[in-house]
Amino acid sequence: MAEAATRPLTAEPALKSALVCEDVHKSFGALEVLKGVSLTAQVGDVIAMLGSSGSGKSTFLRCINLLEIPDSGRISVGGELIRMTKTKAGRTIPADPNQVDRIRARLGMVFQQFNLWSHMTVLQNVIEAPIHVLKVPKAEALERAKAVLNKVGLDDKLDYYPSHLSGGQQQRAAIARALAMEPDVLLFDEPTSALDPELVGEVMRVIRQLAEEGRTMIVVTHEMGFAREVSSHVVFLHLGRVEEEGPPQEVFGTQKSERFRQFLASNL
Amino acid sequence: MFDLKGYGWMLWDGVQLTLAVAVCAMVVALFLGLIGAWGKLSSVPVARLAAETYTTVIRGVPELILILIVYYGVPTLIQDVAETMGADIFVDFNSFIAGFLTIGFVYGAFATEVFRGAYQAVPRGQIEAAYAIGMSRMLMARRILLPQMWRFALPGLGNVWMVLIKATALISVIQLPELMRNADIAARAVRQPFTFFFAASLIYLAITIVSMTVQHRAEAWANRGVRRS
Ligand SMILES: Nc1ncnc2c1ncn2[C@@H]1O[C@H](COP(=O)(O)OP(=O)(O)OP(=O)(O)O)[C@@H](O)[C@H]1O
Ligand SMILES: [Mg+2]
Repeated sequence: MAEAATRPLTAEPALKSALVCEDVHKSFGALEVLKGVSLTAQVGDVIAMLGSSGSGKSTFLRCINLLEIPDSGRISVGGELIRMTKTKAGRTIPADPNQVDRIRARLGMVFQQFNLWSHMTVLQNVIEAPIHVLKVPKAEALERAKAVLNKVGLDDKLDYYPSHLSGGQQQRAAIARALAMEPDVLLFDEPTSALDPELVGEVMRVIRQLAEEGRTMIVVTHEMGFAREVSSHVVFLHLGRVEEEGPPQEVFGTQKSERFRQFLASNL
Repeated sequence: MFDLKGYGWMLWDGVQLTLAVAVCAMVVALFLGLIGAWGKLSSVPVARLAAETYTTVIRGVPELILILIVYYGVPTLIQDVAETMGADIFVDFNSFIAGFLTIGFVYGAFATEVFRGAYQAVPRGQIEAAYAIGMSRMLMARRILLPQMWRFALPGLGNVWMVLIKATALISVIQLPELMRNADIAARAVRQPFTFFFAASLIYLAITIVSMTVQHRAEAWANRGVRRS
């Protein structure tokens, strides 16, 4: 408080946080899946999120863009706090649905199952939200779409429907769809887990490239190579708590937690 | 060819009215079907109960009785109620409107089931992807949900339409001069029931065949992008 008072009003915050999650709790019925998870991503951070099945990784990512509503905790994106309120029954809900839509548009989500819209071609998938959510003029949306599809190596598949593409191509199209929104933060939920092994490489290459461009991203993954070599920060989730976290050299080097050691042993 | 003894124009007039009633009824059925499906899938208990009651009643009561209740029963009921309140009024329904509303009401229940199935067939992940990218509920429904629901609903709606066309013949009981009624009048006038009823059946059949062709085209269009296995 005292420090804030002495700081000039016009000053930029010392660190520009792209995403701050504080003490996020989430239960499904009696099952408490997230028991107070906190995480901060500065602009340009690449956070690899590890953890065994059922540890709550997906639930946490889904809480960030409010596909699940956290029971408690605070989430802010680019400095904007998502305002929550309580119903009469005591359930937590977002205070302002418009704010939720706006925040979601700034968070790009890539799903394990791709989730491309099957009634639209690749190009239509990519221009859909820029045109209808961001109200970008069609010509500009098309230009953006071609640029991001070129980046993920799908220039020659613009007019294909998702069902006519391989899994790797579908996931790259899904990444392009997220990129076309020019999001502040990208959220990946096990982007290669549904792929045949020989298709993992083409998708990981794209994700690596995005990391190298300095994009802020949170990647839930079982690809240890990515966590070690590309991430700036590793978070290991166990039973709904952050069990270990830090820069990859440190986390993989010391392996303070017994759980993390076991996890690594079973995941190579 | 048949000799329709100059009554061919009556059948032609009847066909036009049949199609008009059927189209109006189908519009009502689609509208009620969407609302009914929304009710059945709602998390609000009252909405679920209302939708459930609607489809159960329709399943249980013959269409013919419903048509008679709406056309003859409801006006008398209104008159009786008005009388107990001291008003002396005469209520009469237009048979066209009573007809298509009743048929639409009945087939709305079938459309409800079709739409409910279609909603459930749209992959949840695609709906989540729409929300995750910042779409509002309305936008998601308009751009992602409904276009895909049509794809899953078309075969079922095609069936509803074809059964509905035939059900419009029941409206003849309330003297609406549609195809069935006019065939009946002509058959009596000329005393050639076989000729006129057979001609009418051929016309119903022709409408169905045309409908099927349109449906196949529509399905092919709606299924673009879907790999057939
Ligand atoms: N909608 C839900 N309703 C009830 N339980 C749920 C729901 N979503 C998740 N869970 C439960 O929450 C726990 C954590 O699930 P979550 O999907 O977050 O795990 P995860 O770490 O992503 O696992 P995985 O590696 O298998 O994807 C699991 O026990 C799961 O069964
Ligand atoms: Mg998961």
